[in-house]
Amino acid sequence: MKRTLQILNELEGSGVGDAMGATFYVEPLLTFDLDVFVVLSANVGDLISLAPLYEALRTRGYAEEGECVLVEGVPVQFLPAYNALLEEALREATETLYEEVSTRVVRAEHLVAICLQTGRDKDRERVRIFREQAELDMNYLADVIQRHGLEGKWKQWTP
Amino acid sequence: MDTVKPDIARIFAAKEARRHKLAALPFPEKVRAVVCLQQMVAPLLRARGKKVRVWTLDPQATRSIPSR
Repeated sequence: MKRTLQILNELEGSGVGDAMGATFYVEPLLTFDLDVFVVLSANVGDLISLAPLYEALRTRGYAEEGECVLVEGVPVQFLPAYNALLEEALREATETLYEEVSTRVVRAEHLVAICLQTGRDKDRERVRIFREQAELDMNYLADVIQRHGLEGKWKQWTP
Repeated sequence: MDTVKPDIARIFAAKEARRHKLAALPFPEKVRAVVCLQQMVAPLLRARGKKVRVWTLDPQATRSIPSR
């Protein structure tokens, strides 16, 4: 895991999200892949492609395995930052230490907002866990929710 | 309406307290816990035909997680 994070640190504009991102803030959540959001440069009109990233990892000896790339024993799933919320989440991700390795992790408040936006049953359950266990900055969260038009879902999920 | 008996309520409260304790662990400990969960769940998922890979942790990161 430490080596995995060292490799990921070499990729600019990335941040750990989803279940492992949540695990930074709440109880350990079962997952089999490490989800990493990445900012990919694309010209207007171009399709965003993970191919250059996969190629860069392949040249370092890390092979694709299904939807993931196996990096030092950990299947890593790369997810392009495909909207304003994810771009903001990556810009404001915080540096956290994992056994002396600094790694960028999406803030808890952004992870909550991403759950609201994604909207699956498991996201709703995760929002509940965040509210119960994480130290959320509620003012910051309110701003994120408002900025990205997620107030309706927040009200619906947090009666 | 059914009510939860005090003994059962105590068990639920203990479970809740354990989850908060787990949430407060340092991240490397949580990663070890995730790998333990993977080891427990992987055989069940594989039996259902799902392909899963249990993570390989760095040798120095394989100390056991705290018990209950």
